[in-house]
Amino acid sequence: MASAPSKLYADDVSLLVVLLDTNPFFWSASSLPFSKFISHVISFLNSILLLNQLNQIVVIATGHNCCDYVYDSSSLANRSSGTGKLPAPSADLLEKLEEFVIRDEKLLKREPEGPIVSSLLSGSLSMALCYIQRVFRSGPLHPHPRILCLHGSQDGPEQYVAIMNAIFSAQRSMVPIDSCFIGAQNSAFLQQASYITGGVYLKPQLLDGTFQYLSTVFATDLHSRGFLQLPKSVGVDFRASCFCHKKTIDMGYICSVCLSIFCKHHKKCSTCGSVFGQPQSDAASEPSKKRKTGDA
Amino acid sequence: MPQVKIIAKNFMDMVAALPAMKLDQLYQNAFICEAILRSLPPLAKKYVIQMLYIEEAVTTKSMEEWVLPDGISKHKVAIDRLLQLRIFSETFDRSSGTSYRLNPTFQANLQKHITCGGVLPREPMPLSITARLPSLEDLEAYALEQWECFLLQLINSAQAEKMMNISSSMMRVFQRGLLTQRDKEPPRLTESGFQFLLMDTNAQLWYIIREYISNSEERDVDSADLISFMLELSFHATGEAYNMNTLTEDQRNTLKDLADLGLVKLQQGRKDSWFIPTKLATNLSVSLADSSARKQGFVVVETNFRMYAYSTSKLHCEILRLFSRIEYQLPNLIVGAITKESLYNAFDNGITSEQIISFLQQNSHPRVAERIPSVPENVTDQIRLWESDLNRVEMAPAHFYDEFPSRDVFEAACDFAREYGGLLWEDSKKMRLVVKTDVHMHMREHLRRQRQ
Repeated sequence: MASAPSKLYADDVSLLVVLLDTNPFFWSASSLPFSKFISHVISFLNSILLLNQLNQIVVIATGHNCCDYVYDSSSLANRSSGTGKLPAPSADLLEKLEEFVIRDEKLLKREPEGPIVSSLLSGSLSMALCYIQRVFRSGPLHPHPRILCLHGSQDGPEQYVAIMNAIFSAQRSMVPIDSCFIGAQNSAFLQQASYITGGVYLKPQLLDGTFQYLSTVFATDLHSRGFLQLPKSVGVDFRASCFCHKKTIDMGYICSVCLSIFCKHHKKCSTCGSVFGQPQSDAASEPSKKRKTGDA
Repeated sequence: MPQVKIIAKNFMDMVAALPAMKLDQLYQNAFICEAILRSLPPLAKKYVIQMLYIEEAVTTKSMEEWVLPDGISKHKVAIDRLLQLRIFSETFDRSSGTSYRLNPTFQANLQKHITCGGVLPREPMPLSITARLPSLEDLEAYALEQWECFLLQLINSAQAEKMMNISSSMMRVFQRGLLTQRDKEPPRLTESGFQFLLMDTNAQLWYIIREYISNSEERDVDSADLISFMLELSFHATGEAYNMNTLTEDQRNTLKDLADLGLVKLQQGRKDSWFIPTKLATNLSVSLADSSARKQGFVVVETNFRMYAYSTSKLHCEILRLFSRIEYQLPNLIVGAITKESLYNAFDNGITSEQIISFLQQNSHPRVAERIPSVPENVTDQIRLWESDLNRVEMAPAHFYDEFPSRDVFEAACDFAREYGGLLWEDSKKMRLVVKTDVHMHMREHLRRQRQ
């Protein structure tokens, strides 16, 4: 998918926003230790900064209870005239990451119930999109932005609505969302995100070689993507979750005004407030609902 | 502007043309590796990063599978570039065909950079010795002033306000190709000279540096050393002071010349002397692969062909004078009009309408830059029309045939010429014919056969 046209820098200047999953429940059970993973990611970030003097990187940590920016390569602190340092992800990133994880833990109110422990992907996606919008409005010239999700935790169906909204707004601003999923099973949300926005979804088979996967698939700038063979998505799981109970469902009731999905019959749509008619009513003026097949 | 790409890439061609041993020696310097990586086409950059940790050679066939059919031409361009710069080394094996491998020195340097982060070539001096450093704005103003003074002196020595330290022989080297001098006449700008003026600053800078480096052999300075020093300079931080005693004698001499161009500012303390790189220097490696101008524009073109340039620089005035009629100069504004006479003047000097239009577009004031198009269409169309006015007459070499013995011979000759597509004009009343030169020989044969 072509990115936002004109008034951009030379073809391969990119702004990469990385959403890093720091969910402690996932990492404690993962086969790849977090420290090794971080070293792969830092090497990858260094290689992106190496490719072009104007490339920018922003890292947002996705925690269990909160999300925050942990690194911004273009921030003034990195270019302070006192030290004259080049942007160096390693030192700053690790420091801020540690502070973030401690903060995240403090916010934990109670032990999560159930086996699925998800991280706040919707929050970090929204933060990324806000940052990108700010860059778009910063002047006539800006780099090509894209989002890379390094994610491992499973999808939390309660975040379905927020994530879908974020995905559609990314599609609108023509920002591709790439995902590198390091968890056990495929994530439906991230597959849908990459499919809709024109990004790449990858689930590496050998986690020890994460850097090689990242540099082969995700290091390319948007312009060159038109010429490269990249992993195509097969079998995207398009199932939705219902708005009332956040369960994943195949068939359900849909409000014809705002297209919200419900698993059981309701009197009123909770999103737009339209009143639903009685089941089997043929009043033409009231919004009707689709019937679950097999219902009497 | 097509010229821009050629000049910037020519620097890399110069690097690629260095003998193999010198190039390998250059790659031992980590900064050169980084600068050269940044100058590659985007696809080539990706290949390098992808091959960074691969020790084995990868076959050409498997590399071709990485691209879609549309991208094969770009793939070839990238691979050629990599082979030219000796970043990829080619090996041939009878069973698997050609395969490529990354240059080991290059690879090691980049691996170190990626895992350990970027390092600066030298440490900046502590503030205790340097005291107050010029602010970034002062530095930029200084760089601009020096550069414009240099350019003014380059094109017209009389106009420059202060004389530079660059020796007249150096100036002559720079002026070679840009100016012609006939006896007793003041030097005039050549066609390439005009095009040079309309290029953006980075391209001009690279042109001058290229001339400087190609001239270095005559001054007994090793061009490879010079190239590596230039590329290293672009990795310093703007506005930081670096001690001169960390440089060799040759590098110090080079720095003095660069100071005249506005790339560095030289300062002297009580015991030490230091140099401060300006933005011109640190942007050197950016512009190697880049062709778009990014500086603030200053020209507003209106639909009534009036031009308002918010600039105080003499250089801008000279450049605008090339193709427009300058009406008045105010303290912060140059008012001019684009007229037929001024454009004809420009076309006579060899400037094309495309160059003028792209100059206006690239330097358009921020207020109008957002508008599409930044220069009104009626102005751009009119400039192109006036240029095509000068191309109304098309010349083709031809032969004229007269005095045909009879009408039949004339008709036959006409048909013959028409068959070969060489008939340019015929007059059946007076039986005259004009035929293209390449058909002339055939025509003669034909007529000779007719006579028999």
